[in-house]
Amino acid sequence: MTTERECDQLLVERVQAGDRRAFDLLVAKYQRRLMRLVSRLVHDPAEAEDVVQETFIKAFRALRHFRGDSAFYTWLYRIGINTAKNFLVTQGRRAPTSTEADAERAEGFDDADSLRDINTPESMLASKQIAYTVNAAMEALPLELRTAIVLREIEGLSYEEISEVMACPIGTVRSRIFRAREVIAEKLRPLLDISADKRR
Amino acid sequence: MAMDTNKKNRELISALCDGEIPDVDQELALAALDTPEGRQAWALFHQIGDVLRADPATDLSPGFTERMAARLAAEPLPGKRAAVADAAAGQATVAADPT
Repeated sequence: MTTERECDQLLVERVQAGDRRAFDLLVAKYQRRLMRLVSRLVHDPAEAEDVVQETFIKAFRALRHFRGDSAFYTWLYRIGINTAKNFLVTQGRRAPTSTEADAERAEGFDDADSLRDINTPESMLASKQIAYTVNAAMEALPLELRTAIVLREIEGLSYEEISEVMACPIGTVRSRIFRAREVIAEKLRPLLDISADKRR
Repeated sequence: MAMDTNKKNRELISALCDGEIPDVDQELALAALDTPEGRQAWALFHQIGDVLRADPATDLSPGFTERMAARLAAEPLPGKRAAVADAAAGQATVAADPT
């Protein structure tokens, strides 16, 4: 049985041996996953797509140095995250702090009134509010926390893999994921209390 | 002090949610789960993950694959890894970080 990692390594070795099409196969496999990751860091879809494209180009150019010490996808994600960070820096943007943006967004749940007006079931409204609050809190997280929780919750990477991607110790990964959850949970608690009150 | 303990317990529960609790902390984590605050943290952390995974991913625009292939076709082949040369340069264990 060939594992996913071994399969990727076979394709990498084919590219290194001169088979361009093998890299197209890796692009076809990882382009959506990479977009899912990058679009959590760079919100404009067109800009996120540019970052994805640049990531693949950088990976292709650097492939001769890739030895398979880590899985191809952790290496690719690392390039993607660094490319996204560099993009945000060159755009003069910074990762928002938790004191801004989220508060503004949390208050801006414009759908709430209209959803009530059209008599949407309360449970549907509550779950929309929860989703909105979680995603707004996510967007307001510092980049390092956001990256860690996305790699864990959305990409399903282990702490060890995340530590490879983010080039930090496993203890830091554990702490970043926890801090991200704490910030999001803090935003969510009042909402859940309100929901509980309404059910009484 | 109590606040620090509670926070530490929630961090253990966070790691437990991810199946990443070290053996040495397992008992503490399970004890932390046996409290109302611990159970609430466990539920909230899982709920956050569920919401994040339910959020629809941003799609790539039509034609992305073709544009990507065209750009890659214009790139010179990366060639075989220069293992011997890199090893000689003392870089054998360092994966390239092209950023």
